Amino acid sequence: MSRPFPYAYISCPCADTPVPDPARKRRSRETSHKTNPEDSNLPVAQDYDFEDERTFDPRSPRSNFSLYPPEQLLYCEDCHQIKCPRCITEEIVCWYCPNCLFETPSSMVRSEGNRCARNCFNCPICTAPLAVTTLENVTGGGSQQGPWVLSCGYCMWTTLDIGIKFEKPTNIRTQLSKMTDSSRGRQMSKTFGDLKSPLSTYSSIDDQFPPNENKGDESNLPTDQSSGPLNPEARFQALKGFYKNQIAATSSSPTDPLADFGAGFSSPGALNRIMSLYTSSSRLGNLYGGANKKPKSRPPVMREALVASEGLRVPAPDAENALIRRMASDDCGWDGMASIEQRTFQSPDARFVEDLLPLPVLLRTKRSKRCKSCKHILVKPEFKPQSTRFRIRLIALSYIPLPTLKPLIPSSFAGLPPSSVAPAVTGAAAVPNLDALSPLKTVQLLLTLKNHMFDAVRVTLATPSVTPGRVASKVTILCPQFDIGANSDVWDEALQGSTAPGDQRASRSGTLGSTEKVAEAGKVWDKGRNWTTVVLEVVPGTLPGGATKRHRVKQQDNRDDDDSDDDDEDEDSNADVNANTLDWSGQTKDHSQQLQPDEDVLEIPVFVRMEWDSENQIDQEQSVGKGQNSEQNTVKRELAYWMVLGVGRISPEVSL
Amino acid sequence: MPPKVAKGEYIETDTGNKISRRSQIHGTQHIILGGKTVIQAEAVIRGDLYRTSTSSTSASSGDQQQSVSSTPSVAITIGRYSYISKQAVLRPPSRLHRGVHSFYPLKIGDHVFIGERAVVEAASVGNHVHVGRDAVIGSMAILKDFAYVLDGAVVAPGMVVPSWCVVGGAPARIVGEVGEGYGVEGAEGGMARERYRLVGR
Repeated sequence: MSRPFPYAYISCPCADTPVPDPARKRRSRETSHKTNPEDSNLPVAQDYDFEDERTFDPRSPRSNFSLYPPEQLLYCEDCHQIKCPRCITEEIVCWYCPNCLFETPSSMVRSEGNRCARNCFNCPICTAPLAVTTLENVTGGGSQQGPWVLSCGYCMWTTLDIGIKFEKPTNIRTQLSKMTDSSRGRQMSKTFGDLKSPLSTYSSIDDQFPPNENKGDESNLPTDQSSGPLNPEARFQALKGFYKNQIAATSSSPTDPLADFGAGFSSPGALNRIMSLYTSSSRLGNLYGGANKKPKSRPPVMREALVASEGLRVPAPDAENALIRRMASDDCGWDGMASIEQRTFQSPDARFVEDLLPLPVLLRTKRSKRCKSCKHILVKPEFKPQSTRFRIRLIALSYIPLPTLKPLIPSSFAGLPPSSVAPAVTGAAAVPNLDALSPLKTVQLLLTLKNHMFDAVRVTLATPSVTPGRVASKVTILCPQFDIGANSDVWDEALQGSTAPGDQRASRSGTLGSTEKVAEAGKVWDKGRNWTTVVLEVVPGTLPGGATKRHRVKQQDNRDDDDSDDDDEDEDSNADVNANTLDWSGQTKDHSQQLQPDEDVLEIPVFVRMEWDSENQIDQEQSVGKGQNSEQNTVKRELAYWMVLGVGRISPEVSL
Repeated sequence: MPPKVAKGEYIETDTGNKISRRSQIHGTQHIILGGKTVIQAEAVIRGDLYRTSTSSTSASSGDQQQSVSSTPSVAITIGRYSYISKQAVLRPPSRLHRGVHSFYPLKIGDHVFIGERAVVEAASVGNHVHVGRDAVIGSMAILKDFAYVLDGAVVAPGMVVPSWCVVGGAPARIVGEVGEGYGVEGAEGGMARERYRLVGR
């Protein structure tokens, strides 16, 4: 979901701390609590210095993983850090069906295969939801009783196409599973049930079932050749049970036969077997450990499934030919074949459109979120699936100022989504078209930071004077240091601004302002109760199509390489990288001229540092800081992060 | 909308609705606007498709947002701070029930954005819903609060989009979720007041 211009992304600092080390986290937390600037010679502070020296490059491949839209970020009050989806853990609060919005209890989720057990199905052809409709309606009959079908409102597929009708409009899933079981599973599901019984041991099955099985096979094979005696799920269960028994039988350490696959076949068991090879070669006879106990019935090596009750399926000798003949026949054709996308959700035997079954809707989850490092809950939604409320919701927007970027234009479109503005704008000269910024032409932008905290914040913005990358645009923040008021009572602003609310609003959106106001260096453009607007001056650079300088190409290559981004030995790695690119592409001359994807997007990295005095919370760590500045029971806090402002796309031709 | 807006492009009603003179609104007495709603030029709102067996075309001129209590059938309800972009089409959903084709009311919540050229036939659209450009919402679909329909998506008839879910494609599928901060005033999903304020200036 890429955003229309202009946008603002915030970089989560977690990308710079590759390994979540709790000890390190704690240390960094301590330093963030320290208030005195004299403390900067702490060990961790040096790390921070190192980070500060680097300029965030929005085009570096790593930034893809750290840049988030502000509303996706959370904030941990204990770590005092921004938390992105990568630095949280999730816990499922409830499962619900996205179609009927009913909750599925967690005990039922697994047995129902993570799918809705009611009437919710997706179309096997196009994945749109299916509706239960009565056939009587179609014919116009009066009675509501009658056969029911599932029909797709998108592609007009119905279950009639695969010859399925339902007697009741409720519990469609059980009806459907009965139909498919009875048509494919036959009476084999009974033997499958026996097989699943925990009391059944390997030998007993082997002894009991082969006679039954052979009968079943004979009766089945002539009738339906395409599908085996068991339906795929039952066959999977049979195979799983069979191999579980096999493992239990052949492994040297006799484990609980009821244990899951992993227990019997886990590496310690296998390791034991291997180790026993070396330690006691004399005990070679004991290698297949259980063999001593039941030497007659148990084969020494693990065997494969032999009969259908164990999950074996022998296709009829001409099954493949029959399939091919059916594909080639006129009534099948290309349209009769199921596509790969359709087959991925169906049983592996489904080859034709007629084999596709309606898919019960996959469940979705509501999840609560925790901080990965300190385990505090950051987001806890209400339990009910339909509710949109949260019990706990610590979003970053309540702590960091919300950035909004607008072009400084003398017209009325500033707040509209740019998609609706852009087409109309091209004609007007006064309005910069953000999708085609003309190079070397100064654009003024308004950056508004809105504070959602109840404390006033002092903000320092910093940006490289030239954006990193091959397209070098010049950026100037006219007022890099300013204050934002506290998010106090809303009525304050209303009462203050009641004299001239129109003016205030107009100047905020830059409508009236541009006729009167001129952006001045060192001065805030506009200010409100809890927001401040400053002006950014941007001179978009020229695209590399015109000027190709060697060092720019070098920079580009450097950026493409993942590894050489962060280390400092640029010269060394550059040579290698250049050689590499020359080798593969063979069109390097064109390459330097060509634009990389999205290279013409003008993105400005801005470093935001905010300071504020917050009320001291009773906290173990802060008691130390409290002793140092116990004057007003406030603690000086700071938070710093990189943010990326997406201004627009630079057009290739230079226009005046 | 050209940048130089002609004087009086919008009719502003008592409750603050801003309705473009160039929008096409049919059956106004069957439409309820909650106030501070914006209807852009060339948007089509079919209030004349209300629930009766005979779809009459009574085009009596009334106030734009007058909720006539004498006629109980309401075709379209739109909440506060909702925004209907240019050339969007709002049609009440319809269904063949017991052999009779009948219309059902279309309810749109607060802070809803309907993109350009979108066609909405949903049964209900919750609060803070975003419908992208050129999207099609099929008949009797339900968009819950904070649903997000991507540009060009085709939401199949009868589909339910749960809260916080992002849907896209044709037919639309759930492709993701919006962040927890979605819908916060001023952030993504919370721009409705700002949008309203800037219309007609």
